[in-house]
Amino acid sequence: MAPMQKRAWWGLAIGIVFAVALLLLFIIKGDVTTFNEDPGYRITVAILWVGTLVAYLVVMKLTLRKSEQVDERDRLILDRATSVQLWALIVTLVAWTLALTEVYWDTGCIPVIFLYLIFISIQIIYVIAQSLGIIIGYWRMNIDA
Amino acid sequence: MPSARINNRIRRLRFDHDEMTQEELASRVGCTRQTIIALEQGKYVPSIELAFKIARAFAVTLEEVFQYEE
Repeated sequence: MAPMQKRAWWGLAIGIVFAVALLLLFIIKGDVTTFNEDPGYRITVAILWVGTLVAYLVVMKLTLRKSEQVDERDRLILDRATSVQLWALIVTLVAWTLALTEVYWDTGCIPVIFLYLIFISIQIIYVIAQSLGIIIGYWRMNIDA
Repeated sequence: MPSARINNRIRRLRFDHDEMTQEELASRVGCTRQTIIALEQGKYVPSIELAFKIARAFAVTLEEVFQYEE
Protein backbone atom coordinates (compact mmCIF):
# COMPACT_ATOMS: atom_id res chain seq x y z
CA MET A 1 0.00 0.00 0.00
CA ALA A 2 1.35 3.42 -0.97
CA PRO A 3 2.11 5.80 1.94
CA MET A 4 -0.47 8.27 0.60
CA GLN A 5 -3.09 5.50 0.53
CA LYS A 6 -2.22 4.54 4.11
CA ARG A 7 -2.60 8.17 5.12
CA ALA A 8 -6.01 8.32 3.46
CA TRP A 9 -7.24 5.28 5.42
CA TRP A 10 -6.05 6.89 8.65
CA GLY A 11 -7.76 10.14 7.70
CA LEU A 12 -11.00 8.32 6.96
CA ALA A 13 -10.85 6.49 10.29
CA ILE A 14 -10.23 9.71 12.23
CA GLY A 15 -13.00 11.53 10.37
CA ILE A 16 -15.54 8.78 11.00
CA VAL A 17 -14.58 8.35 14.68
CA PHE A 18 -14.86 12.13 15.21
CA ALA A 19 -18.25 12.31 13.49
CA VAL A 20 -19.63 9.34 15.46
CA ALA A 21 -18.23 10.66 18.78
CA LEU A 22 -19.78 14.05 18.17
CA LEU A 23 -23.10 12.53 17.16
CA LEU A 24 -23.15 10.40 20.34
CA LEU A 25 -22.29 13.45 22.44
CA PHE A 26 -25.16 15.42 20.96
CA ILE A 27 -27.57 12.50 21.45
CA ILE A 28 -26.49 11.98 25.09
CA LYS A 29 -26.08 15.62 26.18
CA GLY A 30 -28.95 17.28 24.42
CA ASP A 31 -29.95 19.90 21.91
CA VAL A 32 -29.26 23.55 21.04
CA THR A 33 -30.66 24.84 24.36
CA THR A 34 -28.39 22.60 26.44
CA PHE A 35 -25.38 23.79 24.44
CA ASN A 36 -26.25 27.41 25.27
CA GLU A 37 -26.81 26.73 28.97
CA ASP A 38 -24.18 24.13 29.83
CA PRO A 39 -20.55 25.37 29.69
CA GLY A 40 -19.31 21.80 30.33
CA TYR A 41 -21.02 20.69 27.15
CA ARG A 42 -19.33 23.44 25.15
CA ILE A 43 -15.94 22.62 26.65
CA THR A 44 -16.39 18.89 25.87
CA VAL A 45 -17.19 19.72 22.24
CA ALA A 46 -14.20 22.07 22.05
CA ILE A 47 -11.82 19.47 23.56
CA LEU A 48 -13.11 16.78 21.21
CA TRP A 49 -12.71 19.14 18.26
CA VAL A 50 -9.20 20.34 19.04
CA GLY A 51 -8.12 16.85 20.10
CA THR A 52 -9.23 15.39 16.77
CA LEU A 53 -7.50 18.17 14.87
CA VAL A 54 -4.23 17.50 16.71
CA ALA A 55 -4.59 13.71 16.23
CA TYR A 56 -5.21 14.25 12.51
CA LEU A 57 -2.16 16.48 12.12
CA VAL A 58 0.07 14.03 14.03
CA VAL A 59 -1.13 11.05 11.97
CA MET A 60 -0.66 13.01 8.71
CA LYS A 61 2.86 13.90 9.75
CA LEU A 62 3.75 10.34 10.82
CA THR A 63 2.36 8.58 7.75
CA LEU A 64 4.15 10.81 5.24
CA ARG A 65 7.50 11.78 6.69
CA LYS A 66 9.55 12.28 3.55
CA SER A 67 8.70 14.02 0.29
CA GLU A 68 10.20 11.06 -1.63
CA GLN A 69 7.29 8.94 -0.38
CA VAL A 70 5.03 10.83 -2.81
CA ASP A 71 5.59 10.65 -6.56
CA GLU A 72 3.80 11.88 -9.70
CA ARG A 73 1.16 9.13 -9.57
CA ASP A 74 0.29 9.99 -5.96
CA ARG A 75 0.16 13.70 -6.84
CA LEU A 76 -2.22 12.98 -9.73
CA ILE A 77 -4.54 11.08 -7.39
CA LEU A 78 -4.23 13.82 -4.75
CA ASP A 79 -5.16 16.51 -7.31
CA ARG A 80 -8.31 14.62 -8.26
CA ALA A 81 -9.15 14.03 -4.58
CA THR A 82 -8.74 17.75 -3.88
CA SER A 83 -11.31 18.57 -6.51
CA VAL A 84 -13.74 16.06 -4.91
CA GLN A 85 -12.98 17.64 -1.53
CA LEU A 86 -13.68 21.16 -2.81
CA TRP A 87 -17.05 20.17 -4.25
CA ALA A 88 -17.99 18.37 -1.03
CA LEU A 89 -17.18 21.50 0.97
CA ILE A 90 -19.21 23.75 -1.33
CA VAL A 91 -22.22 21.40 -1.19
CA THR A 92 -21.98 21.28 2.63
CA LEU A 93 -21.89 25.06 2.91
CA VAL A 94 -24.81 25.47 0.50
CA ALA A 95 -26.83 22.88 2.48
CA TRP A 96 -26.13 24.66 5.79
CA THR A 97 -26.97 28.08 4.36
CA LEU A 98 -30.26 26.98 2.80
CA ALA A 99 -31.34 24.92 5.83
CA LEU A 100 -30.52 27.58 8.43
CA THR A 101 -32.06 30.36 6.38
CA GLU A 102 -35.32 28.48 5.99
CA VAL A 103 -35.52 27.33 9.62
CA TYR A 104 -34.56 30.64 11.27
CA TRP A 105 -36.01 33.07 8.74
CA ASP A 106 -38.77 34.27 11.08
CA THR A 107 -36.57 34.80 14.15
CA GLY A 108 -33.88 36.56 12.15
CA CYS A 109 -31.02 35.11 14.22
CA ILE A 110 -29.21 31.77 14.33
CA PRO A 111 -28.10 30.06 17.61
CA VAL A 112 -24.35 30.18 18.24
CA ILE A 113 -24.09 26.39 18.30
CA PHE A 114 -24.51 26.40 14.52
CA LEU A 115 -21.25 28.28 14.19
CA TYR A 116 -19.63 25.28 15.89
CA LEU A 117 -21.61 22.80 13.83
CA ILE A 118 -20.82 24.48 10.51
CA PHE A 119 -17.07 24.52 11.18
CA ILE A 120 -17.05 21.02 12.68
CA SER A 121 -18.95 19.64 9.69
CA ILE A 122 -16.52 21.43 7.36
CA GLN A 123 -13.63 19.76 9.17
CA ILE A 124 -15.27 16.33 8.99
CA ILE A 125 -16.15 16.73 5.30
CA TYR A 126 -12.66 18.08 4.56
CA VAL A 127 -11.02 15.01 6.07
CA ILE A 128 -13.48 12.36 4.87
CA ALA A 129 -13.89 13.72 1.31
CA GLN A 130 -10.16 13.94 0.72
CA SER A 131 -9.53 10.49 2.19
CA LEU A 132 -12.33 8.94 0.14
CA GLY A 133 -11.11 10.75 -2.98
CA ILE A 134 -7.62 9.30 -2.51
CA ILE A 135 -8.86 5.78 -1.71
CA ILE A 136 -11.22 5.78 -4.72
CA GLY A 137 -8.46 7.27 -6.87
CA TYR A 138 -6.10 4.37 -6.13
CA TRP A 139 -8.91 1.88 -6.55
CA ARG A 140 -9.97 3.33 -9.93
CA MET A 141 -6.42 3.52 -11.17
CA ASN A 142 -6.08 -0.18 -10.45
CA ILE A 143 -9.27 -0.97 -12.34
CA ASP A 144 -9.18 1.50 -15.26
CA ALA A 145 -6.00 0.84 -17.17
CA MET B 1 -11.84 7.08 -32.06
CA PRO B 2 -9.58 4.01 -31.79
CA SER B 3 -8.25 3.30 -28.31
CA ALA B 4 -4.52 3.63 -27.83
CA ARG B 5 -2.34 1.81 -25.38
CA ILE B 6 1.19 2.25 -24.11
CA ASN B 7 2.94 -0.98 -23.30
CA ASN B 8 6.28 -1.30 -21.59
CA ARG B 9 9.10 -3.78 -21.08
CA ILE B 10 10.11 -2.65 -17.60
CA ARG B 11 9.79 -6.07 -16.01
CA ARG B 12 11.87 -7.70 -18.79
CA LEU B 13 14.52 -4.97 -18.58
CA ARG B 14 14.76 -5.32 -14.81
CA PHE B 15 15.53 -9.00 -15.14
CA ASP B 16 18.03 -8.28 -17.89
CA HIS B 17 19.81 -5.87 -15.55
CA ASP B 18 20.92 -8.35 -12.89
CA GLU B 19 17.38 -8.84 -11.68
CA MET B 20 17.09 -5.29 -10.48
CA THR B 21 14.41 -5.04 -7.80
CA GLN B 22 11.37 -2.79 -8.12
CA GLU B 23 12.57 -0.93 -5.03
CA GLU B 24 15.97 -0.31 -6.62
CA LEU B 25 14.47 0.96 -9.86
CA ALA B 26 12.05 3.16 -7.93
CA SER B 27 14.87 4.70 -5.95
CA ARG B 28 16.93 5.30 -9.13
CA VAL B 29 14.13 7.08 -10.96
CA GLY B 30 12.64 8.85 -7.93
CA CYS B 31 9.24 7.27 -7.59
CA THR B 32 7.58 4.80 -5.24
CA ARG B 33 7.70 1.01 -5.62
CA GLN B 34 3.90 1.05 -5.97
CA THR B 35 4.24 3.18 -9.11
CA ILE B 36 6.73 0.71 -10.62
CA ILE B 37 4.25 -2.09 -9.84
CA ALA B 38 1.43 -0.09 -11.49
CA LEU B 39 3.63 0.58 -14.53
CA GLU B 40 4.58 -3.07 -14.94
CA GLN B 41 0.94 -4.09 -14.71
CA GLY B 42 0.02 -1.50 -17.33
CA LYS B 43 -2.21 0.31 -14.88
CA TYR B 44 -0.43 3.65 -15.08
CA VAL B 45 1.13 5.62 -17.92
CA PRO B 46 4.11 7.69 -16.69
CA SER B 47 4.90 11.30 -17.46
CA ILE B 48 7.51 11.97 -20.17
CA GLU B 49 10.01 12.87 -17.45
CA LEU B 50 9.57 9.61 -15.56
CA ALA B 51 9.63 7.64 -18.82
CA PHE B 52 13.01 9.19 -19.72
CA LYS B 53 14.36 8.49 -16.24
CA ILE B 54 13.33 4.82 -16.53
CA ALA B 55 14.93 4.52 -19.98
CA ARG B 56 18.14 6.08 -18.65
CA ALA B 57 18.17 3.76 -15.64
CA PHE B 58 18.39 0.86 -18.10
CA ALA B 59 20.69 2.79 -20.48
CA VAL B 60 18.32 2.27 -23.42
CA THR B 61 16.19 4.54 -25.60
CA LEU B 62 12.66 5.50 -24.67
CA GLU B 63 11.17 3.31 -27.37
CA GLU B 64 13.02 0.28 -26.13
CA VAL B 65 11.06 0.63 -22.91
CA PHE B 66 7.72 2.01 -24.05
CA GLN B 67 5.71 1.05 -27.13
CA TYR B 68 2.71 2.98 -28.38
CA GLU B 69 -0.02 0.82 -29.90
CA GLU B 70 -3.02 2.21 -31.75
